[in-house]
Amino acid sequence: MKILIADDSRVMRQIVIRTLRQAGHGGHDIVEAENGRQALEMVQTEAPDLVLSDWNMPEMNGIDCLSALRASGSQVAFGFVTSEGSEEMRERAASAGAAFLIAKPFTPEAFDDALRSVI
Amino acid sequence: MSAVVPEVEVPASEDVLAVTEDVWMALLGDDAPLLPRTVAPGAPFDVAAWSAATTISGGWQGVVTVELDEALARRLTMRMLALPADEQASDSDVADAVGELVNMVGGNVKSLMPGPSVLSLPAVAAGRAAFSSDSALACRVDLVWQDAPVRVSVHVPQEGPR
Repeated sequence: MKILIADDSRVMRQIVIRTLRQAGHGGHDIVEAENGRQALEMVQTEAPDLVLSDWNMPEMNGIDCLSALRASGSQVAFGFVTSEGSEEMRERAASAGAAFLIAKPFTPEAFDDALRSVI
Repeated sequence: MSAVVPEVEVPASEDVLAVTEDVWMALLGDDAPLLPRTVAPGAPFDVAAWSAATTISGGWQGVVTVELDEALARRLTMRMLALPADEQASDSDVADAVGELVNMVGGNVKSLMPGPSVLSLPAVAAGRAAFSSDSALACRVDLVWQDAPVRVSVHVPQEGPR
């Protein structure tokens, strides 16, 4: 399985990769994007099976990236990893076609639960 | 902890403390406790520091700021990046880590307040935080971790004539 991690923070991308490993999902291929626009392009070029995306990013945020993906016909599995875990944000994410939203701070268990829903 | 509460809805100090503790434990583990630190009301952050702020706008308006001791900011960065002890965190890594810290605290504070609102990207500075003169302190949490001070504050737009 190939996972695209989109976050403008290199630190957070590292933490997500480490948490995936701790959650027992360390064997996947990982590719990284620094913003939503780059993620949008990399879905075409890298053909990931899952996108794990931050919400707030420069250039293009995560929800706009997801909307653009769905508008282009892409049905790639997409989950948010964001500091904004309110019910309102979860509803917006689900309405746009996200499979899950993992709120920061998170645990390996939260990642495992979320990934099992799309694997 | 201390608070100067203007006449707008503000987060409770206890809630900001709980959010900060959750984020802290997720990032640094529980091998050392985050303890309260007694600081006089109105006192500026008293150490060389990194600071980061994020703005919440929309259904609720406010600015969440985190200020950190320099050495602590570097330790936090090394822990977040899982760097070995013989490596140094670069300034850009520290800015990234401190920005992510305020993003997490700010995002969780946003979730506590009325919405819908938008959370800005973090603004990070090497130095103490600067606060707008048209904002008022709503909530401040002073803490210490392994002898290093941390401050989280929430400012809201000031109402009425100044």
